[in-house]
Amino acid sequence: MGAAALAEPLALLESVDRDGLVRQSWRIERWPVTIGRALDNTVVLSDPHVAAHHATIDLVAAAPADGGADDAAAAAAKTIVVSAGATKNGLSVGRERIGAGARTSIADSGRDLELQIGRSQLRLRLPGHVLADEMAMTPVVVVERRWGPTLGFAFAVLLFVLANVWIDTDPDALARAAGGLVLATITAAAIWCGLWSLLSKTFTRQSHFGWHVRVFVLASLATLTLAVLPPLLAFAFSWPWLTDFSFVAVYATVAAAIYFHLLAVEPARERLMRGVAATGFVVGVALSLWFNVQRTGRPGEELYMNHLFPPQLRVARTKPVDRFVEGLAPMQAILDRKAKEQSGGEIDPRNGGDDEE
Amino acid sequence: MRDRVRRWAAAGVLALAASSALTQTRVSQSADPAASAAAPQLPPTGAPAAVVAAPVSLSARKVYEQARPSLVQIRTVLKGGPSQTSVGSGFLVTAQGHIVTNFHVVSEAALKPERHDLVYVTADGREAPLVILQLDVLHDLALLRAGDALAPLAASAAGAGASAAGATTSVKATSVKATSSKVGANAAAASSAAPRGFEPLAFRPASQPLAQGERIYSLGNPLDVGFTITQGTYNGLVRRSFYPQIFFGGALSAGMSGGPALDDEGHVVGINVARRVDGEQVSFLVPAEFAIGLLARGKDAAPIIGPAYGIVDEQLQQHQAALTDRFIAQGWKEATHPRYRVPVPPDVFMRCWGTSEVSRTGGLDFERSECQMDTRIFVGEYTTGTISLRHESYDGSKLGPLRFAARYSQSFRNESFIRLSAQHQTKPRCNEDFVDRDGLPLRAVVCMRAYKKLTHLYDVAVLVATLDQNEAGVQGRFDAQGVTFANAQRLVHHYLDAFRWAQPH
Repeated sequence: MGAAALAEPLALLESVDRDGLVRQSWRIERWPVTIGRALDNTVVLSDPHVAAHHATIDLVAAAPADGGADDAAAAAAKTIVVSAGATKNGLSVGRERIGAGARTSIADSGRDLELQIGRSQLRLRLPGHVLADEMAMTPVVVVERRWGPTLGFAFAVLLFVLANVWIDTDPDALARAAGGLVLATITAAAIWCGLWSLLSKTFTRQSHFGWHVRVFVLASLATLTLAVLPPLLAFAFSWPWLTDFSFVAVYATVAAAIYFHLLAVEPARERLMRGVAATGFVVGVALSLWFNVQRTGRPGEELYMNHLFPPQLRVARTKPVDRFVEGLAPMQAILDRKAKEQSGGEIDPRNGGDDEE
Repeated sequence: MRDRVRRWAAAGVLALAASSALTQTRVSQSADPAASAAAPQLPPTGAPAAVVAAPVSLSARKVYEQARPSLVQIRTVLKGGPSQTSVGSGFLVTAQGHIVTNFHVVSEAALKPERHDLVYVTADGREAPLVILQLDVLHDLALLRAGDALAPLAASAAGAGASAAGATTSVKATSVKATSSKVGANAAAASSAAPRGFEPLAFRPASQPLAQGERIYSLGNPLDVGFTITQGTYNGLVRRSFYPQIFFGGALSAGMSGGPALDDEGHVVGINVARRVDGEQVSFLVPAEFAIGLLARGKDAAPIIGPAYGIVDEQLQQHQAALTDRFIAQGWKEATHPRYRVPVPPDVFMRCWGTSEVSRTGGLDFERSECQMDTRIFVGEYTTGTISLRHESYDGSKLGPLRFAARYSQSFRNESFIRLSAQHQTKPRCNEDFVDRDGLPLRAVVCMRAYKKLTHLYDVAVLVATLDQNEAGVQGRFDAQGVTFANAQRLVHHYLDAFRWAQPH
């Protein structure tokens, strides 16, 4: 008996969860294998969507296509025959659906066969199937084990926040404001990362807390930099467009952060998550542009560049007043056009109002 | 009324109109729930005249009795509707039925004639339509003519129409009869009243100027309560007004707009126009000379048909040309800041106020100065034609360069360029750059909006921040409303040129 137990089984039937992890496996010691809710089946699935005798799987030698000339070849090439019993729901084999009483024969391709019965995802493994190489752990797991850099970045973020508090608070009120803001920042970060970890835990059974902290800290660092760098450049070089559209970069940062957070929630669907983040980014930018046009008549966010830095940081040259005032001239045509457009469009509702009276 | 008055508001024009972003409250009355709730039972015209605050002397009684036949209430009513949208006062100036009132009393009818009709009601309750002959938007005057003065023609036409209708339709005979009898009555009243019905008031001759302290009487129909006479004093012309206005030391109320102010002999010295809502008995009259001028210009004019935007436009063009020229010609005050020459206009037709604030938390200290004109031109739903300036001088020596820059930037950011709704103006467009003033670097932003119904008029705003010091600076803002593009450019140039170092560096 002990020796028999150690022997290689004829096949292995596994029930897998949505992440591809095995929930239960059955060693197959003889063919055919019957699957159903009744206790006399080889594999019992207590699922209300499964019939008493739902399906039968058999392994037969391939039909002797060449008149059975080559026995060895015939023995190696096998055919899996799946037949459905009296079932309402049927089942799927690979991508093929089978209804009640039907059967299908599939030549063994050398890869594991996927079956869907009721709400169970089953996998049939036969000896001699190709084994994929061992996969390396995902970056999520690798990165989250390295806390050193994460803490370093977190420290940088904290310094950044403190610098902002120092700049924005009058000297006499600094101590209290700094304490409050540092506390608020840490609390907010903990809540944010905690919620993501909860999601990860729900979907992957691992919290990936370290990963989420790393993503949050890096994204914060990028956002804080974006709050300073574009205004500084816009001031230094007199580039109003830079701060007009710097919100695009901020949105990109946020979208990237969400993508990396999602990576630790659904590691198997990297492409989908990339799509989600990219769609969010595009929709966000488009909506902002639309709202800006509605609000100010221009796609940009700022009516004028309103960031002033210490005068030494100015690089752009000054203009004489004459040239600056001459440069106003093109505005006239734009304003006149807008005045006409909009008052033209406005006549309609007014006339409508008259009709009502 | 009070809940509409803003705390900072100074004076209001005396037509009870909904727009009260004026420094003056105009003294005519418009549909206003609060006002109607205050006097729900009083019929608009039935009340026998006058609830008068101050005791009225014998001569006031004489003046009132003499002027009573010349007084009218002017009502703007919705076309085909039962409601009045605003009421004001007016008075007859010729025996041919010419009536003078304020432009703001008739502005709805002038600018949206497709929706409004004008009627006048005399002190004895006679009611008849009005036509507009001429406007003086800048002095807030309008010349009207009683419709029944033109009645013989109109009434006979209407009578003919009515009888024709009566002949052809027998079914609606009763209603047609009612109409035609009314028309007939009106025509009869007009034909019999025309020769003796219009008793004009005379203007006080310019050769007899009033002295300060002389008693004058203001007449009108406040808040639609009934005709009244209030007495007050003549206090000369208002200081720093762009257009001359008489300072009347007496009470004016909404609804009295357009009513006459008379001297002891019952001669017109001015027309009620506005009052200060933050003072007591600080009221304003348009000097009679402008009404005389308007009458001379418009006496024989054809009635204005259709929206009067063209006239408003033309007069605003004159106003902005005069305003720009006077503003530029008057130059700037000297010694406005220890380090810079900051543009502050002399107190000719503008008034400046200043405050100084020292930070309680060791932050930014600043001084602010703000200059405004009292004069604004009322053009229906908004006012325009005014200039204002403001600057703030910041000292951040307690803060250091970085913290100062953050606050200086915050203050520069905190500016709005939207004044009127999208119905009246386009959204702002801006142009900006670093500008050099004899070595003093400035950040300058110019934002402009175009008016939608007034052609080729713009509001312009200039924002300036000095950029030569690490821990101090001056930010200025200049606003001009209702100027042409060329004048806007001139004013921007004039304003920017005014910035410079007080001592050469």
